Amino acid sequence: MKPTVLNTPNSNLLELEHVSFSYPDGGIGLDDCTLIIRHGSRNALIGANGSGKTTLFQHCNGLLQPQSGLVRYDGEAIDYGRKGLRQLRSKVGMVFQNPDRQLFSASVQEDVSFGPFNLGLAESAVRQRVAAALLAVGMEAFANKAVHNLSYGEKKRVCIAGVLAMEPELLVLDEPMAGLDQRMQEELLIVLDELHERGITLLLATHDIDFAYRWADRLHLISAGRCTATLEAADLADCGDALSAVGLPLPKVVELHNRLMAKGALSNERTPRTPRTHGELLALL
Amino acid sequence: MLIEQSAYANRWRQVAPAAKGLFALGGFIAAFAARAPIAAIAVALLIATTTLVGAGIPFGRYLRVATPALFFLGISCLSLAFSLNLNSDTQALSFHLTPTGMQQVAEVSARSLGALSALLFLVLTTPLIDLIAMLRRLKTPEALLEIMVLSYRMLFVFSEAVHDTLTAQSARLGYATSRLALRSLGDLAANLTLQVWQRAHALHVAAQSRNNDGPLRFLEPVFTNKRRDVAFATAGGSVLVLLAVVLS
Repeated sequence: MKPTVLNTPNSNLLELEHVSFSYPDGGIGLDDCTLIIRHGSRNALIGANGSGKTTLFQHCNGLLQPQSGLVRYDGEAIDYGRKGLRQLRSKVGMVFQNPDRQLFSASVQEDVSFGPFNLGLAESAVRQRVAAALLAVGMEAFANKAVHNLSYGEKKRVCIAGVLAMEPELLVLDEPMAGLDQRMQEELLIVLDELHERGITLLLATHDIDFAYRWADRLHLISAGRCTATLEAADLADCGDALSAVGLPLPKVVELHNRLMAKGALSNERTPRTPRTHGELLALL
Repeated sequence: MLIEQSAYANRWRQVAPAAKGLFALGGFIAAFAARAPIAAIAVALLIATTTLVGAGIPFGRYLRVATPALFFLGISCLSLAFSLNLNSDTQALSFHLTPTGMQQVAEVSARSLGALSALLFLVLTTPLIDLIAMLRRLKTPEALLEIMVLSYRMLFVFSEAVHDTLTAQSARLGYATSRLALRSLGDLAANLTLQVWQRAHALHVAAQSRNNDGPLRFLEPVFTNKRRDVAFATAGGSVLVLLAVVLS
């Protein structure tokens, strides 16, 4: 399915440079925000409700245009003309938080076909992409079902399929785990892992630091519209200050690991790196 | 909702909608062609039987779906049967039950029953998404189809919004007294108006982000046995028309 771009893990796919945006009612959306998303990386954008996550995402897809600053995709500044936006939106896929605000066709297959048709593909190609996208999210049996008969989690998957069918390079997901139960969250994670394997760059918003630490390569912190820091997940154990500056605690696994090290229950030789999950920590003991 | 459930869970769900449409069309033509009431009634009964036995729609559900239409039909028949006379001498109003009126009532109601049964057959066996796809193939103007698609989808989004708001209001005693109920109903209407606007905007943004800049295009469902189905339907429709003509 992907990717067309050479997978060079260190090159920058999307860059926001000093982007500011405020809403017509005076609310601050983004305030001098600088952020870099690398090719093929998994990124978590962490911030409280109302911190500007959705505003930032809408800049990734050209839905909002910065009032000052610059957004670059693949090294080039975004052209906000019709053609430029078309190109950008075929590369950056956006999954909204509330599925009922994204799905507007009555049947699953129809909705997924919406994006590919907008790309101007022929019907046979669209049919192929729809089938592949539904397969990727495990919803192939639901192709002819009506959208309103699906559960919340299923609707969410259809939303993802609808964007996947456009074969994006960068997939942006706004609070994908919100409203999903434990099992559905695990299933969605598997889907995301598979997409990452295929070379799709992922950016998702969350306010759950434990989940972000477990899943992401890089964590971007946002608070009151300011992008305060970008942290490598591998170094997070030493970044308590940056986290507490935006009111976030250290991940529980890190806290517990630190305490166990202090008590001497674990030693440096046995743990070359800080464990990322509860399971990894248990395995060390 | 009852219609919706039947459309998705009947024995003929996988039959090509073109075939079902053709059979219903046969029913309509037969209902109009039937000059004698008995012919139209026969057509109606035949279609209803097909719906109940062939497509496997439960009788109780069929009756419940048909009741509102039958109620309106009854009212219009009454207005046809009675004629209002103004006596010029006495200036008195009077109702008459006229023989020609009765004849007319029999004809009109029998035909309406025929047409109603054909329409019920179509909507109870075919989901609206299939019907829309069929209308698209029949070159219905795109704008009309888009309105149909969006209204249909929004119907469910809104019924959910109404339900949620009603529940939330009831949970805080919003409908405890008739005074409160009136007030809550007003709030509900105001709130929904806002939600309509917000949701419409959200959908627009979502469409934009998926690169939409004009017509809404969707993939159409595929039905494997289309030829066979259409052949059967043509035969069935012809039988209906023949029946209507022979009995008239």
